[in-house]
Amino acid sequence: MLAFSHVDSFYDRSHILHDVCLDVPEGKVTAVVGRNGTGKTTLLKTLMGLTDRMDGEIRLDEADLGRQPTFRRARSGIAYVPQGREIIPDFTIRENILMGSFARTDGKREIPPLVAELFPYLIQNLDRNGGVLSGGQQQQLAIARALAAEPKIILLDEPNEGIQPSIVEEIEHVIIRLNREVGLTVILVEQNVTFVRQAAHRFAMMEKGRVVASGEIEDLSDALVHRHMAV
Amino acid sequence: MLEVLFIGLSLGSILLLVALGLAITYGAMGVINMAHGEMVMVGAYVTVLSGIYLHTNIFVAIPLAFIVTALLGLLIERVVVRRLYGRLLDTLLATWGIAILIQQAVRLEFGLSFFGIHIQGLGPGLQNVSVPEVLQGTFTIAGADLNRYRAFIILVTVILSLLTWFIVYRTTMGTQVRAIIRNPKMAAACGIDVTRVNALTFALGSGLAGVAGVMMSGFKTVFPDMGTPMVVDGFLVVVMGGVGSLLGSVFSAGILGEINGLVAAATNDILARAVVFGVVIAIIVLKPKGLFALKGR
Repeated sequence: MLAFSHVDSFYDRSHILHDVCLDVPEGKVTAVVGRNGTGKTTLLKTLMGLTDRMDGEIRLDEADLGRQPTFRRARSGIAYVPQGREIIPDFTIRENILMGSFARTDGKREIPPLVAELFPYLIQNLDRNGGVLSGGQQQQLAIARALAAEPKIILLDEPNEGIQPSIVEEIEHVIIRLNREVGLTVILVEQNVTFVRQAAHRFAMMEKGRVVASGEIEDLSDALVHRHMAV
Repeated sequence: MLEVLFIGLSLGSILLLVALGLAITYGAMGVINMAHGEMVMVGAYVTVLSGIYLHTNIFVAIPLAFIVTALLGLLIERVVVRRLYGRLLDTLLATWGIAILIQQAVRLEFGLSFFGIHIQGLGPGLQNVSVPEVLQGTFTIAGADLNRYRAFIILVTVILSLLTWFIVYRTTMGTQVRAIIRNPKMAAACGIDVTRVNALTFALGSGLAGVAGVMMSGFKTVFPDMGTPMVVDGFLVVVMGGVGSLLGSVFSAGILGEINGLVAAATNDILARAVVFGVVIAIIVLKPKGLFALKGR
């Protein structure tokens, strides 16, 4: 469905991604794993067109995404939940969620029923400011915003980082539901190997800006994890 | 006393008219638009020219100037500013250059003066706009004689401020503008066409400056350099109010206008100007992000 071929990506003059090739199959969860600073976040940003420059090709079905501006990529069905969530603190929860709907191609601006079902707390507090929410709730809000785009693919960048343990499980559950029940294709950047093995179908291991191993999740062996992720 | 406060209010209104456009372009786009004052000047010349060639008055000039300056703003954004996003100092230099170009274009009558062709209403000289009779003279409230034209300026400012508020806070485009002010990358990742919204924002800001120019033409002489001090005033208001905050601009324009009016009434205009600068400096030192700072950038 989504394919990176020979992608190089840059911030100013820093060359971050080197010759990345990766296939993301439709309807599956693809986990991107690796130590800190190996280019996982940059991979997602490159996909959204948020790095300064890239070479190579990114294809979504038949379309060449790599040359399109960020908003077109969003409108072609890719929703991004960034690390640090990046919700807007002085927008209400409603405004934050509806921001995602600008990526809809039918021009509708509404909160999809799925969001109400997954995050009842947000729906009960639509007029409060996003900034008053706890970290975990903000993460839910960022996911709700992504879902308001009615995307085909959702990108999640360390969704459990810096979140109270009680909500981590809830969010993990939501991510698995989004894939298994809603049928979303998911790209998940994650450090927690246990969760990756539980949620993902495929994986890509990154090291120094390159994909050093990839395949079915069963192939993500302890030896591989030890070699590329142990600190 | 009422007269003095009224004059202060009208001075504040003019500041706000100039600053409204800057508040949204500087706030939303991070562009220091030095040509903003020239938009004011172009708006004033639209009033002069429409009076000469269309025999219309200042009321007709308002929408006309808005359209002309908005289109000029759109052109500037398309041709120059668009290529310089994220490069604050470069936008400053480039728009300064544009400002000089526009000034000279008016002074040299678009270059025609080299060929001995003169367009009435343009050129290096001073132009005057006559104000329609309804706006001349004074009216009396509570024993105070208030100038009609100043009241008109205040009225137009209130209407434009409300209109701007409505656009920014109650329309889809406004939501997009506010999202871009706070987080341009995330706005784009949410499907907002940042380039297009920026272009429209720039056009809107320029159009507002054009209307400010129309109002200015009614009580000041119109000449090619008239915009230069305006842009300084505009930035004073925006920076003191807090970048990206409309409410901040409204308050700081009001405060600066009243200070200017009060001090000028008690002493003279030059001292008033010095006090205004002093107040702005003090506020920037005490609150570097302005009175109503956004938590964003």
